Amino acid sequence: MKVVKINAIWCSGCLIMNKVWNNILKKYDIETIELDIDMDEEEVEKYNPGKILPVFIVFNDDKELLRITGEIKEEEMIKKLKGVCELHEKDI
Amino acid sequence: MKRIFSFIIIFLFIFPLTVFAEDRNIKLYLYYGDGCPHCEEEMKFLKTIEKKYSNLEIIKKEVWYNDANSSELQKVNEAFSINRIGVPTNVIGETIIRGYGNGTGSKIERAIKYYSNSENEYIDAVDGIINDNYKYEEKENSFEKKEEESDENVSIDVPIAGNVNLKNVSLTTAAVVIGLIDGFNPCAMWVLLFLISVLIGMKNKKRMWALGIAFLVTSALVYMCIMLAWISIAVKITTVIWIRNIIAVVALIGGVINLRSFFTHQDSGCEVVDDKKRKTIFKKIKKFTSEKSFIIALVGVIGLAISVNMVELACSAGLPLVFTELLAINNVNTFMKIMYTVLYIIFFLIDDLIVFIIAMFTMKITGISTKYNKYSHLLGGVVMLIIGILLILKPEWLMFNFK
Repeated sequence: MKVVKINAIWCSGCLIMNKVWNNILKKYDIETIELDIDMDEEEVEKYNPGKILPVFIVFNDDKELLRITGEIKEEEMIKKLKGVCELHEKDI
Repeated sequence: MKRIFSFIIIFLFIFPLTVFAEDRNIKLYLYYGDGCPHCEEEMKFLKTIEKKYSNLEIIKKEVWYNDANSSELQKVNEAFSINRIGVPTNVIGETIIRGYGNGTGSKIERAIKYYSNSENEYIDAVDGIINDNYKYEEKENSFEKKEEESDENVSIDVPIAGNVNLKNVSLTTAAVVIGLIDGFNPCAMWVLLFLISVLIGMKNKKRMWALGIAFLVTSALVYMCIMLAWISIAVKITTVIWIRNIIAVVALIGGVINLRSFFTHQDSGCEVVDDKKRKTIFKKIKKFTSEKSFIIALVGVIGLAISVNMVELACSAGLPLVFTELLAINNVNTFMKIMYTVLYIIFFLIDDLIVFIIAMFTMKITGISTKYNKYSHLLGGVVMLIIGILLILKPEWLMFNFK
């Protein structure tokens, strides 16, 4: 599973979701590609991020499974991710 | 039997006199201009009270086309030490009420009630002025003194704060609440976050503080200048009903837009700002902040703050306009207008200040949840709808005069 995370420096919601995502990454093994809407313009265009940031695009074998936009709670995010694929917990 | 009959007859004659003994006959002099819209409005109002107060005689004197009446008004103004002649001018007893706007009608009625009461002194000043035997003197018991006292009576004792005037409290609350709601509007916040991200990269704390503060102070000043300009216009035009109604319609439209945003944007998060505009601003920020000369960097950031705030003001969807209208219809003095505007701007900038100060101390950008933006749309929408409806139907409820 791979998650493409599209943010912007100027977006408060992205800053809030950075914390949420970092907490999730502490618990689960998820390959993440971080993109900035202004810095990685060409790359971002490929994913057609839409009008609301941040965007989390979940892929499995290059197939888009899910798109999560805006601010959501950590538990809700985990629930949504578990709904489309298996999450591997990290060995602590 | 004859005695009882006589008693009834005497009682029937005397009773009405004792009950209505207070209602002395009084005169209201109205100096008006033919074609003056405020005068027309007042005439409509006077028609309604003419029926209500049978002891009231209304004497109307046209001054724009009638020289005799005009010089009489001049004399009246001189007697009351008033320099500027204006219409409508009302004189009841020794009270002069100039202009006609929100609250004038109720003041005229209070004056009528005051002079109708036989316990209060009634001198027909205009009659005296015409006959050259009147001189205005300040008295201990007068309608004006009573009005001043009732202004003082709208205050309450609050522990620690002491004596607090309710009118001031209401406008203070309005400044804090509307300013706060307006502040959570994300339009200008994204530029500040852009700026902070670049400033943090500079690693020069003094420069960071100076440029950041320059941006915030300039934003505040631009907002303040625009609001004060609106107030000065609003004060002049607020008595024109149709202009007040236009402001009310702006408030209603703003309210609907805000509520629509709350209900349609179920996803909290940041709306992507127009690509071209965003890139231009980003380039400018990078250019100005990387300038070797501090002065050029400072001027650049100030210029940026001016342009961003001028453009983003439209994004507030009328909240500052509604607040300035509140100040205008409450007829507060110039100093207080500035104070309330400053208070509004402090609360408008409070979220930006928090983000900036945290970033400067921790060297990390902190975001304020976009969920607050969402609820600011809900609150802003409700506040604007209420004010819009009241401006049209019950403007006196927004005057916080508690009388």
